[in-house]
Amino acid sequence: MAVILPARRRPARRVVRNTAIGWSFILPNFVGFGVLTLVPVALLFYYAFTDWNIFGGAQWSGLANFEQMAGDSSFWTALRNTFYYTAVHVPLTLAVSLGLALVLNRKLRGVAFFRTVAFFPYITAIVAAAQVWNMLFSPDFGPINEFLRGLGVDHPPGWTVSAGWAMPAVILVGVWRDMGYYMLIFLAGLQTVPAQLHEASTIDGANAWQRFWNVTLPCLRPTTFFVTVMLTIGSFKVFDVILLMTDGGPGQSTLVLSQYVFQKGFEENQFGYASAVSIVLFAICFLVTILQFVVNKRREA
Amino acid sequence: MKRSISAVLGIAVAASMVLSGCGGDGDSAEGGGLKLTLAGWSLATTPEFKTLADGFHTANPDVTVELKEYDASNYDTQMIADLSAGKAPDVFVQKNLKNFYTYQNGKQLLDVSDVAGQLGDKAGGMANYQVDGKTYAVPYRNDGWVLYYNKGLFDKAKVAYPDGSWTWDDYAAAAKKLSTGLKSAGSQALGTYQHNWQSTIQGFAAAQTPGANWETGDFSYLKPYYVRALDLQKAKAQVDFGTETTNKLTYQAQFGKQSAAMMVMGTWFIATLRAQQEKGDADKFEWGIAPAPQFDKSTTGTAKTPVTFGDPTGLGINAGIDKKKVDAAKKFLAYAAGPQGSKALAGIGITPADTKSVTADFFTLSGVPNDDVTKFAFGTRETKPENPVSKHTAGLLNVLNDLHTAVMSGTKDVDTAIAEAQTRAKNEVLNK
Amino acid sequence: MTHILLDAPAHHARTDDGPAPNRKRRGRLGRILGYLVLIVAAVGVLLPFYWMVVSSLKTNNDVFTIPVKWLPDTVVWENYLDIWRKSGMTTWLTNTLIISVAVTVLQVLTGSFAAYGFAKARFPGRDVLFLAYIGTLAVPWPSYMIPQFILLSKVGLVDTRWSIIALQAFGALGVFLMKQYYETIPEELSEAARIDGMSEYGIYRRIMLPLSTPALASLALITFVTTWNDYLGPLIYLRSPELRTIQLGLSTFISQYNAEYALIMTGSVLSVLPIAVIFLFGQRYFVEGVSTTGLKG
Repeated sequence: MAVILPARRRPARRVVRNTAIGWSFILPNFVGFGVLTLVPVALLFYYAFTDWNIFGGAQWSGLANFEQMAGDSSFWTALRNTFYYTAVHVPLTLAVSLGLALVLNRKLRGVAFFRTVAFFPYITAIVAAAQVWNMLFSPDFGPINEFLRGLGVDHPPGWTVSAGWAMPAVILVGVWRDMGYYMLIFLAGLQTVPAQLHEASTIDGANAWQRFWNVTLPCLRPTTFFVTVMLTIGSFKVFDVILLMTDGGPGQSTLVLSQYVFQKGFEENQFGYASAVSIVLFAICFLVTILQFVVNKRREA
Repeated sequence: MKRSISAVLGIAVAASMVLSGCGGDGDSAEGGGLKLTLAGWSLATTPEFKTLADGFHTANPDVTVELKEYDASNYDTQMIADLSAGKAPDVFVQKNLKNFYTYQNGKQLLDVSDVAGQLGDKAGGMANYQVDGKTYAVPYRNDGWVLYYNKGLFDKAKVAYPDGSWTWDDYAAAAKKLSTGLKSAGSQALGTYQHNWQSTIQGFAAAQTPGANWETGDFSYLKPYYVRALDLQKAKAQVDFGTETTNKLTYQAQFGKQSAAMMVMGTWFIATLRAQQEKGDADKFEWGIAPAPQFDKSTTGTAKTPVTFGDPTGLGINAGIDKKKVDAAKKFLAYAAGPQGSKALAGIGITPADTKSVTADFFTLSGVPNDDVTKFAFGTRETKPENPVSKHTAGLLNVLNDLHTAVMSGTKDVDTAIAEAQTRAKNEVLNK
Repeated sequence: MTHILLDAPAHHARTDDGPAPNRKRRGRLGRILGYLVLIVAAVGVLLPFYWMVVSSLKTNNDVFTIPVKWLPDTVVWENYLDIWRKSGMTTWLTNTLIISVAVTVLQVLTGSFAAYGFAKARFPGRDVLFLAYIGTLAVPWPSYMIPQFILLSKVGLVDTRWSIIALQAFGALGVFLMKQYYETIPEELSEAARIDGMSEYGIYRRIMLPLSTPALASLALITFVTTWNDYLGPLIYLRSPELRTIQLGLSTFISQYNAEYALIMTGSVLSVLPIAVIFLFGQRYFVEGVSTTGLKG
């Protein structure tokens, strides 16, 4: 999307003028962003190569932190768990929120109510939600297992107190929480799909599925792209749901990278090492995001 | 481009400010009285800070102690943030030994060896705050873990009260007998309640097993304690760990509402239980404390000194404090850890550092049992620290906490978990 | 990405009215089934809330009983009065409201402003800068929390509401979201305006803003909710009890009165209600937007 009008006369001046205009739009946000986010993040890159216990100065230690990481089994566990969480959470939430948006984009009776219901989990205090879900998942007395036992399941899973089922439990809560948020974004995105296209293809005899696939989905691409990127980054960075529900346990079965960073930094005071781990997390997110950008650009062509 | 240049300059200035490190800010002394700031938490329900502040002011009218409130469960996170920015109060509490190391190693604490010298060895737990021959904090509380028991429920199940002679096997047998006895008497209560903290099991194991030292990386001393705990769970003499965690059971409610006949817990609970019984949050029933169960018969009985564990709670002086206030701050520390402070604290049911000189006052308080076994358990004990203080403490605690949740939830068996923990400790913590 | 524009502009209210008339009977059955599915799903989603509301009306000991009590034995309406007295709920609500509104206004304004710059203007370094924006989204906050804290405390903003406002108001999320949305608005509209002599600022104000109301409304709501629910920020930056937000207040309340489960649930329910109400009444803006008669493209 370019704004350059035919620039045959004095092109340099045009470029400067475009730059000035562009910056004038960006500046108000950038001032705050640059100082408050960009600078600390840049410092993070510096600290990753140091040994810093936060109170004194940071001592340069080169690649020592990264060497430590390579041999640190907890780091690899956290990495594995983070990928596990992301790989399941992203497609599940995408499907659920898109489905919700499609279903609730009509003039159904009570659609306002249903939309609010879908959004409710997102607006609950995470502190309360985690406590409630833990209780619901309680293996011996919780209603979920009582329901399962009623269905005839003899040994229902231990959920948040069993190593194998803790992550699925957390993912479930994550989807429950995030679906409203992304449903909202999809709803806004669905407004950009021109009604005429739908009418035209109905006239052409397309059924609902074909309309969805050939009209809605392509028009939704920028929105889907945004949702996928945000969902992926959010999943890699997941922190408070896990901290409040299982605290990485039982054992280390739900330990994820963000939490590992918090542990190393705030509990064990190894801020240099924590910064190094953060850089790795960042690199992963960044690479995946760039990949998504590239795929998206190619699809656009 | 001019705008971007000024933006870059601004960033450079900001970055250099941050990289120049942090200095301490002191409050300037106001004309007239001196003001000291003291960190505390949950001020509405934790009266000890106000008690110390007011008591000190009465004894030294020219100094006021102002309280700054922190979040109880995130105290150290907030304190670390404040210290790093130079905004921490003049005197701050050492809530646990693990973070005492952090502060001391980070040079955030003033050397208070002179205060320690004054106090002598009356203040229990002082040794924990000594590093390289210097003392960096003084204890104002010296809690230890003891055994609480509900006399009414014991009577109901027809089990004899603990008398200070129990080992852990005696305790386990009693718990099972209580559970069956209570059940046949029609009560829902269980024999005992062990809270889900790692310290409930690991603290005792480390303090009581001769020769146990986690710095060697050998954790086999934990095994018998975990085997016993799992056995109690299986025999239904104790609530399941999973249920405890997901339903967020609180030890105050479990014992206070008579869901359990016994409980091992720290002496800080005495004050809480007393207050809750007065207010009606806990049932009114007869209770007592006995020495914690022992490793073997060599330390049982009232002629010996039982071994238990507990961390002192101390006060340290911010190394960045204004020079003019150092004397007043040191005076405050001496007061808190000394006989006057101990007396004030005992008056609200807190276990002060100097237990010996306040035993009389403590046991005249209403709501506190004063039978002989209770007095013995309170005043006579060898309290070892919950974990030794070193640069490995935080890392080892995390490794052992993972072991704790894995074993108690039944995810891993004890031997596998211990083996894994030992490997992790060697590779991730002890090799630094 | 190309838009096929027929004779009318693309952006107006878009809703689907249901199946064609000649499939009415099958459509009706489908509709009833659909409603049934929706209702069952709604029950499942709302289960935790039901439990929260019910618990808020119980006595403390009845909240976490074994087994679960789905209806209170005695309904304790007083909890909803006690919560105001016992905790600082009024203070928390006020603080959270002030902060959330300030952040939302700032984020929506500066974010959409900047997004326009990124979407429509072309200048050297634009894409790199945008990548830097998105890059910061990929960094977990605990990582750069401390340098940020040191920075803000040097300026003396710690333990003030401004610290939280500053932290949240200039995030990259708003810029990213609006930029994506602006890219779906056909260039022809702005071209026409440019030819008519309108400045970029005018285009932004008269064309872009009105057309992107669904996205702006979504961004506003999301920013509001994120700030409303933020826990870590207030924990690290706020100390004075009179500055506490709802999340921080609730959590400190929990650690002080940790056996007052019923009141904790009452506080949680109250913290959700304002947003639920706002959403219920405002949700159609996300879908229908503020309808504009299209500018001839």
